[in-house]
Amino acid sequence: MIKITDLEKFYRTEEVETIALNKLSMEVRKGEFVAIMGPSGCGKSTLLNILGMLDDPDAGSYIFNDTEVAHFNERKRADLRKHNIGFVFQSFNLIDELTVFENVELPLIYTGVAASERVKRVEAVLDKMQIMHRRNHYPQQLSGGQQQRVAIARAVVNNPKLILADEPTGNLDSSNGNEVMELLTDLNEQGTTIIMVTHSEHDARYSHRIIRLLDGHTVMENIMI
Amino acid sequence: MLKNYFKTAFRSLYKNKGYSFLNIFGLAIGIACASFIFLWVENELSYDQFNTKKDQVYLTMVNQPYDKSIFTHTSTQAPLAAAMQSEIPGIAQTCRTSEGETSMLFSVGDRSMYASGKYAEPSLFSMFTLSFMEGNAQIAFSQLHSLVITQSTALKFFGTDRNVVGKTIRVDNKQDYVVSGLIKDIPRNSSMQFEWVAPFQITYNQNPWMKSWDNSGITTYVELKPGVDPEAVNKQLKNFVQRRAPQSISHPFLFNMKSWHLHWGFENGKQVGGQIEYVNLFAIIAWIILLIACINFMNLATARSEKRAREVGVRKVLGAGKKMLIAQFIGEALILAFAASFLAVLIITLTLPFFNILVQQQLTLGLDKPLHIGALLAMTLICGLVAGSYPSFYLSSFNPVFVLKGVKLKDSGAAFIRKALVVIQFSVSIILIVGTIVIYQQIQHVKSRNLGLNKDNLLEVAVHGSLAKNFIPVKQDMINTGYVVNAALSDHTTLGDGNNTDKLSWEGKAAGSKVLVSGRSVTPEFFATSGMHIIEGRGLQVPDSLVATENSSKITNIVITRSMAKLMGKQSPINKLLYNEGDPTMKLRVVGVVNDYVYGNMYGTPDPVIFNIVQPKDAYVMYVKLNGQKDITKGVAEIKNIVSRYNPGYPFDYHFVDDQFNQRFLTETLISELSRVFALLAIIISCLGLFGLAAYTAERRIKEIGIRKVLGATVTGITTLLSLDFLQLIGVSCLVAFPLAYLGMSQWLNNYEYRVGINWWVFALSGGAAVIIAMLTISFQSIKAALANPVNSLKNE
Repeated sequence: MIKITDLEKFYRTEEVETIALNKLSMEVRKGEFVAIMGPSGCGKSTLLNILGMLDDPDAGSYIFNDTEVAHFNERKRADLRKHNIGFVFQSFNLIDELTVFENVELPLIYTGVAASERVKRVEAVLDKMQIMHRRNHYPQQLSGGQQQRVAIARAVVNNPKLILADEPTGNLDSSNGNEVMELLTDLNEQGTTIIMVTHSEHDARYSHRIIRLLDGHTVMENIMI
Repeated sequence: MLKNYFKTAFRSLYKNKGYSFLNIFGLAIGIACASFIFLWVENELSYDQFNTKKDQVYLTMVNQPYDKSIFTHTSTQAPLAAAMQSEIPGIAQTCRTSEGETSMLFSVGDRSMYASGKYAEPSLFSMFTLSFMEGNAQIAFSQLHSLVITQSTALKFFGTDRNVVGKTIRVDNKQDYVVSGLIKDIPRNSSMQFEWVAPFQITYNQNPWMKSWDNSGITTYVELKPGVDPEAVNKQLKNFVQRRAPQSISHPFLFNMKSWHLHWGFENGKQVGGQIEYVNLFAIIAWIILLIACINFMNLATARSEKRAREVGVRKVLGAGKKMLIAQFIGEALILAFAASFLAVLIITLTLPFFNILVQQQLTLGLDKPLHIGALLAMTLICGLVAGSYPSFYLSSFNPVFVLKGVKLKDSGAAFIRKALVVIQFSVSIILIVGTIVIYQQIQHVKSRNLGLNKDNLLEVAVHGSLAKNFIPVKQDMINTGYVVNAALSDHTTLGDGNNTDKLSWEGKAAGSKVLVSGRSVTPEFFATSGMHIIEGRGLQVPDSLVATENSSKITNIVITRSMAKLMGKQSPINKLLYNEGDPTMKLRVVGVVNDYVYGNMYGTPDPVIFNIVQPKDAYVMYVKLNGQKDITKGVAEIKNIVSRYNPGYPFDYHFVDDQFNQRFLTETLISELSRVFALLAIIISCLGLFGLAAYTAERRIKEIGIRKVLGATVTGITTLLSLDFLQLIGVSCLVAFPLAYLGMSQWLNNYEYRVGINWWVFALSGGAAVIIAMLTISFQSIKAALANPVNSLKNE
């Protein structure tokens, strides 16, 4: 599903050039659950951003579903992204002014799904995440665990082929964290490919494979059994 | 999608109530303010437009070249109309009217009242759009002593506006007139105004001078046939008078009705300026005030962009394109603009009566008029688009990777634009403050100028009936009351323009030189009563009216003003003779010189005047000098008693010369008050924005303030630190505003011959005011931030 080869990304300020990704190559197959680990500044988030087509690489190739997307412009990337990729963030990133229902509905609006269909799909996913009873609440009225479940609901409502999770349990206590990991595992078992950045060895154990990064390139891969 | 935008917008506005209030209120004031100006502009532009023949009707103007400049006026010779019509093809008809307004006394039963109107030829009714309610245009003036009156006049005369045709009314206690027509009230936005109109023939019969080409003193309107080029007619008019009166220097030309109100300004015989300059100026000010209000929105929107950044990031990650986000933010601005419009309509409804008092008009909001609705809608849309444009492009350009990570946005570009916008706002405010001060100074400068006469406690009483004949006993009776110091008769109101002639000559006058000299007829007490001083020789005496007859020419003694004396040469003018070029039998001998005094144009330099003794039949007004030490109200009551005793049939009609003087500054006073109001509003709107901006700056720097406090900074130190940035902006605004204000106001002052200089302290005061107002606005936020407990702000990070 994903194949990157010799991917490079630099960050330049006026005086310093930082290498975030250094000729990184990797492959993720359809249906896999991959964890990316490494110390702060090793390039995890940069990689996730490029995989999520939020950012473009400076060099190298990125093939997504047999299509080279490394040099897509913003509009094309946005189009590909909204139909194929769901995001889960450490800080949930829900919109405060929208209710639970409206937050989850948002991706469907941007992909142009009809209103009646939207209601059906949002209700189904809220039901599945067991937060239906909170549908009319605003994010700030929910606990952290509940907010992350809303965020996951929002990530999956469009039935994406790939979910990118950036430290999804980072802001949660362990029991809420475990619940979120169970949810991701369920989604993976139903066929969704998941790539997750994490600091937590515990969370990484839910994945099939751990890719360890250091200074912008792969140093080790662990296959989980 | 739209629904989602609306929802987010409304909730975001609701959540940030303070911010929304600043924006909506500021924009509402801006829209209300602009609406007022546009209503006024609309009214100004509407003048005379209701006349169906506005394209064809012209006023005959006259250019008269003199030594110094060309004098343009409306006084024409009475025979001109008929001559033009018979010789110049293309003229459909003409209409002669008396000049200005004539005030007459009308008596119905035992009630008497004054009303002002005109004598006019019946063609008036077909040239101007006047609608008859009773009677009709064809027969209105079939009788000599007939009268067409307006609805309001009918109510004033008879207490009814029904069945008034055929009623008789006594005029000036002399002659009965029959009402022959009743017309609807003339719209306020008409240049032609009267309460009554009577046949021109009456005044023509009474004034034999009108038969001659040598005298001007009536107004001539011309209607051209459709499609006739007025320039072609003007060519034929250029030397039209000279073919009949070779000595005349009058060169008539036609001036179209559509230009009467807005383009009435002439310099050296050419049309320049006029009211249109103020109309344009205020229209520009309206747009500038709207822009200032829009700037508030832009500034506050970008300043608080950090708060919206995460939302932008999330939406982008979820698939929103840049265009969608731009649409969303412009949509929000539009919602805000519409909310502001509603509030503006409310503000306008509540404050329009006060604005109407200010501009002396009866403007209405008129939301039933498509034009008004359209204009309000257009204003709202423009505000929304302008206000939303920059923030939407700025916000939608955020990189989701950074904003979602919480990376502090590099704000330098937006911050620079924000600063530039604040500079624009305050520059405009400072320019308006400077303008307001200079206009006020100019008015005060002229009002306090030495007029050459003392207008204080000077009463002008209209002369009717036998008042002039009994002047000596009337004056004595008044003085006997102890309230009156002196009294005099005159054939002119002192401050007004009046009769003038270019036909005077004297020994030593350059050949071919044309000088306009005003003539005034007064009683000997006039100079003392008006507070004028004899500089040389003596004042007038009663026998001066006719001193001697030699060789069948009559000699009259006169007093001249100092500028007239200067014209006549360096030597003393006393005993010199003046000749009337038109009448060699008339000679004038100078017996005294009096100081110059200002009349006509209060901003001009005094033109030369000659004074002779007035004949009682020509006396038009009586000037009464009240004793300033005594109660003025009682004094006026005493005068009224005496005047009424000698003149029982006439209501007492008087004015204070002081008030008449102030009346001559109506336009300037209006401009002064408008500029004051708009300067104030511009400052209020700018301060609303600055207040919000200061709040966000303080919020943005909260961590820095916390650290500084922990390290030992004082509250004063931090307040100063936060205020200094804004002070710099006001400083830059001053640098931008001062030269512009100086240029603009110098240009305005150039319109006036007698004008004030622009002092450096005007700029110091304006700049200082801007600084103080800005400091007051931001100090609240700065002090609040400085007082905050650093523990809280640092913990939040």
